[in-house]
Amino acid sequence: MSGVWLPCGDYHQTYSEDQGWWQTTFIKTKMILLLAIMFLGIPLLAPEYWVGVANMVGYTAMGALGVQLLIGYTGLITLGHAAFIAVGAYTSTLLVLRFPWPEFIVHWGLSYPISIIVAGIFAGFWSVLFGLPSAKVKGFYLILTTMAAQFITVDFILTQYVSRIGGRGQAFSLPPGTIHVGPWVIDSDRKIYYVMAVLLTLMVIVMANLLRSKPGRAWVAIRDNDIAAEALGINIVWYKLLAFFVAGFFGGLAGAFWISNTAALSPEHFPWFWSLWLVGVILIGGVGSIHGTIFGSLFMVVVMELLQWAVIPLSEYYPKLLIDFAYIKDSAFGLAICAFLIYEPNGLAYRWWQVKNYFNLWPFSY
Amino acid sequence: MAQAKESGEDDIILKLENVHMYFGRVAALAGVDLEVKKGEIHSIIGPNGAGKTVMMNCINGLYKPQRGSIYYKGRQINDLKPHQRAKLGISRTFQKIELFGGMTVLDNIRLGRHIHLKTGILSGSIYVGKTKKEELKTRKFIEEEIIDLLEIESIRDKTVHMLPYGLQKRVELGRALALNPELLLLDEPLAGLNLEEVEDMARFILDINEEERWKVTCILVEHDMGVVMDISNRVLVLNFGNKIMDGTPEEVQHNPDVIKAYLGEEDLYATRR
Repeated sequence: MSGVWLPCGDYHQTYSEDQGWWQTTFIKTKMILLLAIMFLGIPLLAPEYWVGVANMVGYTAMGALGVQLLIGYTGLITLGHAAFIAVGAYTSTLLVLRFPWPEFIVHWGLSYPISIIVAGIFAGFWSVLFGLPSAKVKGFYLILTTMAAQFITVDFILTQYVSRIGGRGQAFSLPPGTIHVGPWVIDSDRKIYYVMAVLLTLMVIVMANLLRSKPGRAWVAIRDNDIAAEALGINIVWYKLLAFFVAGFFGGLAGAFWISNTAALSPEHFPWFWSLWLVGVILIGGVGSIHGTIFGSLFMVVVMELLQWAVIPLSEYYPKLLIDFAYIKDSAFGLAICAFLIYEPNGLAYRWWQVKNYFNLWPFSY
Repeated sequence: MAQAKESGEDDIILKLENVHMYFGRVAALAGVDLEVKKGEIHSIIGPNGAGKTVMMNCINGLYKPQRGSIYYKGRQINDLKPHQRAKLGISRTFQKIELFGGMTVLDNIRLGRHIHLKTGILSGSIYVGKTKKEELKTRKFIEEEIIDLLEIESIRDKTVHMLPYGLQKRVELGRALALNPELLLLDEPLAGLNLEEVEDMARFILDINEEERWKVTCILVEHDMGVVMDISNRVLVLNFGNKIMDGTPEEVQHNPDVIKAYLGEEDLYATRR
């Protein structure tokens, strides 16, 4: 196994090798290089502005992972995922700002890390609550029940009640320096980036692990054929709710991460459009693929960012462009989705797979 | 609960008593009885619409009969859901292939092991350690017991929906076997196969029925009379939801009612060869 660069020279002698993740030296080198860029290259070398963009990519990817799990792997279409992100963000904020932590926890900077986990678990259970209808309904009907999650959670509970706790009006302010992780104060884009990179890496590992063990297979089985899945001993309702829990957990983590990246938290950060946006991300990236989620987030955030760069010089001649930028962004989102559905319905992940396959065999044609 | 009343009922693995199943006012099953002995291949035959698949679905739990009882190893299982019945050891294949199209052959068969695995979301998300050991054990079982038996080594990493029909049928059998069932429901395992594939499949069914390792009791729904008469221990004949007769293949072949309802006057059952 070691020292093999191309898969065609790679012969496995144990099942453990055959099921391993990074099978050839080439892939190992590639992945280590990728991690090095992610953990050292970007935070140390990239300009502050692009680190901020990378944070947005990470946040989008964290949110979209949960959507990917529900839509891409379990076949449960959801249009209310922003609700669970919001629940995570609010849980974490309330814990950090208002929970009477023991002195040593605050001293060691553990209140935020603990709140991230609690936010995940709470958002997970919140998600299960709105996943309950999935026991009975499928497809289009489920879209509506998940949209109910969005409106009940964000527009009603959070806006009307939660965000008024403490009489602050609509927003919780999170001045720089509120968020600590251990001895570090998270007050710059580069520090936020590290929080994001660690969280996202852990989430991707967890998701990939789940998908190669019992729960993940059960989810894919439910997506592909729920009748056969039940006949083979899968408790469909239980596994659907488990999918909602894990997706909500990921959403909660994403929300808890988001509060490190914002100075004030308000329900407007989690509009219904954000739920829709996350679905767009996985459509463009590739439904049913983890790296598709990352590709989709990269594409959406970076393209929108470039669009901004294109609009700024043009606005000299046509100033209204800048004012209307929000609408331009939305139309670009719509156009991108249309283009992908027509020309590459399997998403960027499929293109990536094709390129990889081509180079697996290169220079031979088969 | 009707535990074994008489001696000899111990060998009866599955018993249907007066099972009725209606769809609206159509009686798909009108009071059918069936007793399947352990270790047998018990076939169900009959013309289209006779209620064969409905019967399978009732045994498996996809349908709930309105009247009558189903006993599995002396235990009434009417109220159990399909996944609970699978845990008791009832596995099945489907008439129209119901594989998990997006998964590889290996993953499909791995899924058949579902009820034997213990991984939860916590151990699954960590993977290293307990789950990895369990996955490797599963893989070993699948490779040595199922892939080897069904001779599908070369396609183990292929995505299922790309495979030809005959191989898909074989994978479906493998998936049902991975459950390590005691009772296997085979719903037309030979439909749509070519001659060679029919011979292979019949051989596999006999293997899993007879080999010491498996000893699986099979209920077989099939239209290929040649195979049915060759490999079955008993044959149940259904027509419009009614049982015409239940007997050995020889008895069935010479029963005038059966010939009238299904087999026809000529030696059609001899084979399609």
